[in-house]
Amino acid sequence: MGGPAIEAKGLVKSFDGKEAVRGIDIAVPEGSIYGILGPNGAGKTTTLRMLLGIIEPDRGTRTLLGHERPLEAARIVGYLPEERGLYPAMSTKEAIAFMGALRGLPLEVGRKRAEILLQQNGLGDYVDKPIKSLSKGMAQTIQLFGTIVHKPKLIVLDEPFSGLDAINQGRLESLIRDEAASGTTVIFSTHVIHHAERLCERIAIIVGGQIRFEGLVAEARDRLRPQVRLRTRNADGPWRKALPASAREIGGVWQFEQPEAGIEPVLKALIDGGAGIEELSIERSGLHDAFVAIAGESAAREMEGAHPDLGVAA
Amino acid sequence: MMNLFEASWVIARRDFIASVFSRTFILFLIAPMLLFGFVAFFSSVTDSQNRAALQPNVAVVADSATTEALAQSRARLVAGTSEQSFPVLHPVRPAENLAVQAQALLADQSGGYSAVLGGTLDHPVLTGPTNAEGYVATRLQLLVDDARRTAALQSANAAPAVVPIERVVTDQAAGNLQMIRRGVARAGQAIIFTATMLLATLLLSTLVEEKTNKVIEVLAAAVPLDAIFLGKLLAMLGISLVGLTLWAGMAGLGYTFFMHIFRDWVALPDVAPAVGWPIWVVLVMLYFTTNFLLLGALFLGIGAQASNIREIQTISMPVTMLQLLVFFLVISVAGPSFGPAALAAYIVPFSSPMAMIALGAESETLWPHLIALAWQALWVVIIIRFSSRLFRRTVFKSASSGSFFSFGRGKAKSGS
Repeated sequence: MGGPAIEAKGLVKSFDGKEAVRGIDIAVPEGSIYGILGPNGAGKTTTLRMLLGIIEPDRGTRTLLGHERPLEAARIVGYLPEERGLYPAMSTKEAIAFMGALRGLPLEVGRKRAEILLQQNGLGDYVDKPIKSLSKGMAQTIQLFGTIVHKPKLIVLDEPFSGLDAINQGRLESLIRDEAASGTTVIFSTHVIHHAERLCERIAIIVGGQIRFEGLVAEARDRLRPQVRLRTRNADGPWRKALPASAREIGGVWQFEQPEAGIEPVLKALIDGGAGIEELSIERSGLHDAFVAIAGESAAREMEGAHPDLGVAA
Repeated sequence: MMNLFEASWVIARRDFIASVFSRTFILFLIAPMLLFGFVAFFSSVTDSQNRAALQPNVAVVADSATTEALAQSRARLVAGTSEQSFPVLHPVRPAENLAVQAQALLADQSGGYSAVLGGTLDHPVLTGPTNAEGYVATRLQLLVDDARRTAALQSANAAPAVVPIERVVTDQAAGNLQMIRRGVARAGQAIIFTATMLLATLLLSTLVEEKTNKVIEVLAAAVPLDAIFLGKLLAMLGISLVGLTLWAGMAGLGYTFFMHIFRDWVALPDVAPAVGWPIWVVLVMLYFTTNFLLLGALFLGIGAQASNIREIQTISMPVTMLQLLVFFLVISVAGPSFGPAALAAYIVPFSSPMAMIALGAESETLWPHLIALAWQALWVVIIIRFSSRLFRRTVFKSASSGSFFSFGRGKAKSGS
């Protein structure tokens, strides 16, 4: 990893007098997988479009692979927009090669690479099939291949998992990991927290056009203390005084946040108080809980509402 | 980043191949030829019928001598002019009361009379909704005058014999040359206008495909909008040139066939435009190209604002009217003139190609064409630039990056 592949400072964008993005700062390290999380209308797509130069920010600066003018880096950037778009009459091979050609890849090379990509991914029979004959998910896969066919140094994916079934989501996760492993920087936006949790080293949480959190996934999780789950043999006794005031019993299991001083003093007091510990576990908070803590319950509900089929990973 | 022309080429190649190798392109190619064939066939079949139907019928209620004299005068005058120059005369036997008979004839739907001519050659009476200065009244007056004059000369035995005009044939006459070159100029304007009207309006809908298929964002993220516009324009120009080449080839074949069959009856004037045929043909092609690019860039810009085909259809009519307006302005002022109106036609970008092709037919000076072509090319660039900025502003709701003249290069704004 080197310097930032993307660096944005104070990006502001208004549409029809309403601020959609309000001063966003992002730094995406080279070679990393970076996720932008947020509910619908949070400003994720607008941010990505500004980073790529599709739209100009009202204020703020951004550099893309060292270029102040994003189009200057177009040859080494791949972009999958949220609204997928392909020419329906084009064959899959031509569509992939055309997207490569837009990024400066010679057509012949693009066609060869397209064939390889299609065959490697079990789509060899579809090389000459027109896009209009494909399923939505398959067409999306073709567009993804078009995004990477020119071997970019930076891949920008806007909601890449939406519209894909579980198998294709898994394939896409593998592809993102493979690209990152080869040194490519990947940045993607998503509603689905578990994709970000599984893939990303760093994330930005955007709500209402503002960044609520930017940093490592681990740092986001660390915003919440680990959860302690405790089951005892004895229902009552002096040991109960050792429990934190916030502890709650649900179905015979006590749950509470790990105290700031650690679990050891509590554990000692429980033993000394005759709790008869049957089961004790300490669980680090998930990204979902961190998201709720950072963005708020309503933002999390909006995300869940936007994609009820996919849900938000617990 | 690819340069503007590399990027335009990628877009143009995709559009060109997608259009030319589609099944609908065959229809595109043959439609004008079919239309031309149908129009030629039906107009030849219906021409004489239509002309007869459009000629007024006049009932001549007079004695046989008067009727015969009028018929002979008409035959004599029609021989020197045309059948359409005079109303058709229908002899009707006179009744006792001319006024009543005339009213009855005018009311008779089956007769279809426009007027009734009664009385004698010395006292003709015209009944009907005619105007003293109108076609029927003036032409009947000519017939009556001729019939009376002929009758008078014949009774005096003084009718002169027909004397044929002796012809002394020369190579050329200035008036003829000017007239034929004016005709060539008009033909050039008509070719450019018709071809552009048929083809440039296709550009109205060309960006709707990208907007409907959501491809526009993929393109805009990879290449400058200027390149997308220029590429689309060049693709349509290429498609148009393929069509024109085929149509011109078919027309050439038709002409060769026609001349082979009718060479003994048809003699085309042996007159070249002022700049000569080869240069003039090249100028027609160049001015068609610039006219297409100018109007095409404008239509592309206008069409890019539309989000669906229905909006395109709504836009089409005013756009066609605009083209017609420019055409009529040009043909009303064009010629080897440098008055204010003609100068305006040469300078205004949208009329310049058609005005200049007329100049090429009538004036042999070439340097104004170089200036005009450069001027028109500059305006193509300006319109593309303006259209792409407008597109970015209205469709992407984003201010354009960089200055108007920094082609294809955006710059991030700084400072927050």
